[in-house]
Amino acid sequence: MKLARILVLTCGVALAVSGGVPLLKRIFADTKPAVQLTVKNAQPREVEDVTQNAVLRDYTLAWQAISTALQNNTLQPLNENFSGFALDKLTQRVKDQKQHGLITRIIDRGHKVDAIFYSPDGAAIELKDTASIETQVLDGGKVIHSDQAQIHYYAVMTGAEDRWKVRVLESAVE
Amino acid sequence: MRRLIFILLVIAICWFAADCARAAELQVPANAVAGQPLSINVSGGGTLYLIGPGQVIKREVKAGNVEIKGEELRSAGRWIAIAGDQSQVFWVKPGKPENLSFLARPSRVPVAKPNVISGVTFVFDKYQNMVIDPTPVNFKLSVGGAGSSKAVTSRQGVAWINSSSAAKAGAAQFVASVDDTEVKRVVQQVAADPCRLTMRVAGRTGDRIIVETEPVRDCSGNPVPDGTIVTFIQTDKSGKSTVDSRIKKGIAHAELPASDNATITVAAGVVLGNELHIGGR
Repeated sequence: MKLARILVLTCGVALAVSGGVPLLKRIFADTKPAVQLTVKNAQPREVEDVTQNAVLRDYTLAWQAISTALQNNTLQPLNENFSGFALDKLTQRVKDQKQHGLITRIIDRGHKVDAIFYSPDGAAIELKDTASIETQVLDGGKVIHSDQAQIHYYAVMTGAEDRWKVRVLESAVE
Repeated sequence: MRRLIFILLVIAICWFAADCARAAELQVPANAVAGQPLSINVSGGGTLYLIGPGQVIKREVKAGNVEIKGEELRSAGRWIAIAGDQSQVFWVKPGKPENLSFLARPSRVPVAKPNVISGVTFVFDKYQNMVIDPTPVNFKLSVGGAGSSKAVTSRQGVAWINSSSAAKAGAAQFVASVDDTEVKRVVQQVAADPCRLTMRVAGRTGDRIIVETEPVRDCSGNPVPDGTIVTFIQTDKSGKSTVDSRIKKGIAHAELPASDNATITVAAGVVLGNELHIGGR
């Protein structure tokens, strides 16, 4: 009788864990990633406090948008936070994923971002990002790849109507 | 019991051996370049996935070398190759510089001002991947064939300069180039503030007096653009009369009430011109 109770309890715990883990992962995927931005190395213009806050807010939103777009194969989050080449490429990625029945789950463990260039007219800013990211690729719900890595990104953001948008986002070997 | 353990051990060894064999079934070259063909060795057939920053390739392949065409491999950055149970991360570098994104500011600038023109160039390859490696970018600013050029090596994809405007007014060609690729912008260089403002009495009509300036020029001798406001002020015993006049064909003129004893002054922006005394004894 005792053995049966333990068995039932174990099954219950296993069920809770198996249901809870994906749920937690989804919750984390939809929350804003932790982004630290430093601007002391920006050249040739010093980054104003207001600009720093706006860039930090919008770069964070851009990464949240990438996670949402690649996990749900939707374009709307991209359109709000990206423009130019970055938007073209990510749009194509989502379309290709959709066509091939894939999704990518990004578990974002944070970004250390350095502003390295701020244009003299204040219209463009370039960021160098060291991101800690776990990537899972799923085909028809089955995980076919999973890795966790520190990835270096270069991002160029330009001022749009009411926010900064990511115009270039490129990963590169350090 | 021993037999069971032996069987389990054999299964475990076979499993491990199969895993080791699978580990060698995907080989991607380390130095892939965007726009250039790529050969991937897959030792077992099945589905090959190539997942890049801006595209996904999925195809059924047979064992052996799989050729990916140059035009298929467009995105630079971190890629993931997946075949069977194996996956491998590989990097695609941008191709050679073929596109420039050139921001020239401002579009209209006064002549002979130091460091007022800025040029910022982002360097891209054919497929709009930012070229991170240092690349020499040549900036040239010229008006009517005369000008200056400067070579700047890009850092992390961007090259920029600050330049002074030339002494001569006109449409300056601001060109950024890398190898055979060049992008032109026009910066309109206009005359600066007037340098010397001189007026004279040009005539009288009834009870009006007509005053006009000499051709208005900046300190470099460029005519100040038409439309610039010149202010004439006449002061006499009845008070002050002010006329704001726009320069037309290089000259501003105004009609003021004739007075038997008046002082007329002229100004444009922060520049004050000569003073005329009309009438009096």
